[in-house]
Amino acid sequence: MTGIRLEHITKRFKTETAVDDVSVEIADGEFVVILGASGSGKSTLLRIIAGLEVQTDGHVYIGDMLVDDYEPRDRNIAMVFQSYALYPHLSAYDNIAFGLRVRRVPREDDPEKLRRRTREEIDQKVRAAAELLGITETLRKRPAELSGGQRQRVALARAIVRDPEAFLLDEPLSNLDAKIRSSARIELRRLHQQLKQTFVFVTHDQSEAMTLSDRLAVLNHGRLLQCDTPERILSHPANQYVASFVGSPEMVFLEGAVQATAGGSTFVHGPVRVPVRGAGKAGPVTLGVRPWDIHVQRTPAEGLLSARVTGIERLGSSDQLFLNILPGPTAAPGAGAGTGAAPAPVAVRALVRAYDFNVGDSVFVTADPDRALFFSADGTLLESMSLSSRLP
Amino acid sequence: MRTRRARRASRIAKRIASHAVLILACLFAVFPIYFIAVTSFSTIPIAGITASILVPKPSELTLSSYDFVLFHYYPSFVSLLTNSLIFAGSAAAIGLLLAAFTGYALSKFNFPGRRTFVYFILLISLFPSFLLILPLYFTFKDLGLIDTYLGLIIPYSAGAVVFSGILVKNYMDSIPDDIEEAALIDGLGRTEAFFRVLLPLCYPILGLAAFLAFIGPYTDYAMANVFITSNNLWTLALGLYHLNSTDTGVQPYGLVTAFAIVMSLPIVVAYMVFQRYIIGGLTLGSVRG
Repeated sequence: MTGIRLEHITKRFKTETAVDDVSVEIADGEFVVILGASGSGKSTLLRIIAGLEVQTDGHVYIGDMLVDDYEPRDRNIAMVFQSYALYPHLSAYDNIAFGLRVRRVPREDDPEKLRRRTREEIDQKVRAAAELLGITETLRKRPAELSGGQRQRVALARAIVRDPEAFLLDEPLSNLDAKIRSSARIELRRLHQQLKQTFVFVTHDQSEAMTLSDRLAVLNHGRLLQCDTPERILSHPANQYVASFVGSPEMVFLEGAVQATAGGSTFVHGPVRVPVRGAGKAGPVTLGVRPWDIHVQRTPAEGLLSARVTGIERLGSSDQLFLNILPGPTAAPGAGAGTGAAPAPVAVRALVRAYDFNVGDSVFVTADPDRALFFSADGTLLESMSLSSRLP
Repeated sequence: MRTRRARRASRIAKRIASHAVLILACLFAVFPIYFIAVTSFSTIPIAGITASILVPKPSELTLSSYDFVLFHYYPSFVSLLTNSLIFAGSAAAIGLLLAAFTGYALSKFNFPGRRTFVYFILLISLFPSFLLILPLYFTFKDLGLIDTYLGLIIPYSAGAVVFSGILVKNYMDSIPDDIEEAALIDGLGRTEAFFRVLLPLCYPILGLAAFLAFIGPYTDYAMANVFITSNNLWTLALGLYHLNSTDTGVQPYGLVTAFAIVMSLPIVVAYMVFQRYIIGGLTLGSVRG
């Protein structure tokens, strides 16, 4: 049981930089998910921890040990590959036992000397791991005879049985059917709670990342954008990329500008005119709101924007409404009206639990002022800025 | 009804036609073997072949040719066979080991000039090995390797490496890197991972490569004839040639065919042993191009 520390890890392949100055500290027993789109360098980072790839710059520590010059086998970590990488010529049992047979352990009478594990020791460990994962029945079969879910469990068992310092998992769930995948998530989480060991899990699936992680590291173009708890990443994304990548359905962004008005500052985007607090100077900003923080109702009220339902996506537990915000009654007759022509409607999305909306319905919307975020033109979060609950 | 019957008739006709073609092709393949077999049991030591030899009367069959080839020929058949097995066996073993390393390096290591090297090897294999005989002869003569076991084993093995190296490379390309990496993480070094994980996965192609590496030297005449002079190092192919050219006044068809039959037996046995790999390997080759 050990933590992992990455210090300024950079990996360059010929011309491109796959990992760019990434520093992360992963605590002992923590479940960290590295999240990124394909090509973000997340797998490369994992392979650097494993020792399968050597970083161009920076240092890897496992526990307190600097392991830069260590071969993968000397790092004593376990890895589960996306393809599972089971040995096709060996039975599930032999696949799990392989690492135990290969590695030697200190002798009881003389810890300086090493010995092979006995057949009984290996058998006991393999059976314990198989039982933990519920694959006792399939131990005699070859990988080709196993289902995807069973292969994934054998791969996990092969990792667990070695009792490694840490587990590295490279998209281990992505080859599973959607149905098994969600149960595999729960199982993986349970496994982590039982083993209480360090897990580093790589995925491009943000919902997988949200459900599994203690902490989430978001990577893009080799750069670490943010590393924080899933809750913090949702509520305080470091920048617009993180905000759009994490959270489903995706955040609604409105690119507008801050204008100084009589009562303070106002965010203006077409027919959307909302008062803001904490704005520095006037200029372009982007307003970001999670679809579930946009509230929809049928009756008009002070401060609400008028909108029309243009589409409905049924997500099961809730509906996502596609809305067009119209130049309506609450659009202040101030600066906007002076331009003459009515501004074009603005498309937003809202998540609702009521199922009685229909396309074409006229509705009124507002956003939760405490949850809306503002991003500067270069995409960074403007922490001090927020929607004001003051009426326009 | 009529159309159904017509369709059925055409199906039967197609089947008859395809079987006819197959039977004909089969005859072409089998006839020479049959002809050789019949001749080897024949008593007729004649130069001119008549059709009557094809359907021998039981009274005309004899084992005398086999008796001569196996027990009265000099150098003895056992000595010829031993030499052939030594040459072909070592060439297959050495060639295969080197081919496994070659294929591994070409498939799993990224070094500058790798593609060029692969094309170069393919290019080499386009040239007939006869071209090498003369330059090799003079080189080996200077090295004192003419008329030695080593003198033939080296070029035979080299030939096997060129051919099998590419076979193994293509096969290893189909094994995902993940599997080797899993072995590295499980606690093996690269060398151990090669021997304990990659090599066992390559058995099918190695079986095919071994068979091919064996057949070549076993049936080689051209190179053996130049590199071997003393008859205690003669291979089966040399024995067969000299049997043909011994001055008995007539062409000893019976002896030559009997020799050919006995000589082919080890190949048949080898084929049966490696059959599974050969068919598997050949289909793999065809799929992978």
